[in-house]
Amino acid sequence: MSDNFKSVLFALATAVICSLLLTAASSGLKPFQEENIEVDRKKNILKSIGLVEDGRAYTFDAIKSMYAENITSMYVDEEGRIVEADRAAGTVLPIYLFTRDEAIQAYVLPIDSRGLWGKIYGYLALESDGSTVSGFTVYQHSETPGLGGEIEKSWFQKNFKGKRIVDHEGNFVSIGIAKPSVTVAMSEAEKANYVDGISGATLTGRFLSAGLKEILSEYEPVSIRFRSKEMLLKPQEPKAQEDGQ
Amino acid sequence: MKLTQSKHFKAFSEPLIQNNPVSMQMLGICSALAVTVQMKTAIVMALSLTFVLAFSNLSISLMRNIIPRNIRMIVELSVIATLVIIADQVLRAFFYDISKQLSVFVGLIITNCIVMGRAETFALGNSPGLSFLDGLGNGAGYGSVLIFVALLRETLGAGKFLGVGIIPDFLYRAGYENMGFMQLAPAAFIIIGLLVWLQKSLTKS
Repeated sequence: MSDNFKSVLFALATAVICSLLLTAASSGLKPFQEENIEVDRKKNILKSIGLVEDGRAYTFDAIKSMYAENITSMYVDEEGRIVEADRAAGTVLPIYLFTRDEAIQAYVLPIDSRGLWGKIYGYLALESDGSTVSGFTVYQHSETPGLGGEIEKSWFQKNFKGKRIVDHEGNFVSIGIAKPSVTVAMSEAEKANYVDGISGATLTGRFLSAGLKEILSEYEPVSIRFRSKEMLLKPQEPKAQEDGQ
Repeated sequence: MKLTQSKHFKAFSEPLIQNNPVSMQMLGICSALAVTVQMKTAIVMALSLTFVLAFSNLSISLMRNIIPRNIRMIVELSVIATLVIIADQVLRAFFYDISKQLSVFVGLIITNCIVMGRAETFALGNSPGLSFLDGLGNGAGYGSVLIFVALLRETLGAGKFLGVGIIPDFLYRAGYENMGFMQLAPAAFIIIGLLVWLQKSLTKS
């Protein structure tokens, strides 16, 4: 048997054994990982509306029951009406409603924005006035740790609270990430529409600003309804859906 | 023969201090900077690396007589990569929050010079038992440096130990402030530098 043939055979055997091990690990652990991811998503939705604090430990059950009590997963149709998926015609967008005392307190939009190295996934919560941001969270991204990766830190995310997606006349302008910070770069009128940027992460900020603008414009029909106070009541027969992407 | 002089004991104990992979061989510095802001991440990282190192040494040593020399490195790398991915998957399943904080650094164990270095210089020429102990020893040596650095950085930088505040309130009221610098990567550089200096000056005499 020639040496080369032996090398190829050995490499093949190594590859097969390694891939078997990896398959076993990956499929065996999948249920646990998926539960983690689902609870983490719910936790982020709750965090965006301020029900879960950063840095405190919560059990899985606490998150799940808090989610079931407060959040309704619904859809928005093209005209901005809140519907359940099966009744909707045409394209629908997912939305999460935070209801308390039979009234909608806030609504949460899922964010999937382009980032520098990959997609940024998170949630943006808006208050029921349809123009004030109640919170922003990121649960998955692949930005550079220490630079763009700072978007997952609470110092960056807490700046979103209280910012507005409309200008002082009530026209939609979205919310952007300033470079380098709001105090340096912005006029007084613009300050409410921008959050402080991250130094060393100009591109992450730019992509995230663009992504937020795109998503907010898609949801603008429903935001307009919130602004004109058409939607302060909880929608009829809100079936608590377990999970809606 | 006394236990402390046996070959097996030496394989484990030498990398702890005398031949520590971080402070003496200057390997694995990058991850030591990145994951030592908090104790918790440092401990998990140390355990993951020890697991990978011990089992990569063991499996490479088991194969050492049949690995064709020309594809030696590739085989080592696939063994290491497999172990790293398994460690990462386990963390994601059972320590999700910590694995999010460690982000890319668990995956980067693959490129940690300690792992490849021990496979090349030790596991290829020694018995499986010795190699396994050498892996454990190097992992513990790396881990002890990590934990020492994290201990200083977390207490001085955030006033916490394993996430629990340990600086009493009256000190803060009296004007004590956390050292923000300790939270940044350069602080780890300085601490490791001081550690190396301390160790070298102690061992010289």
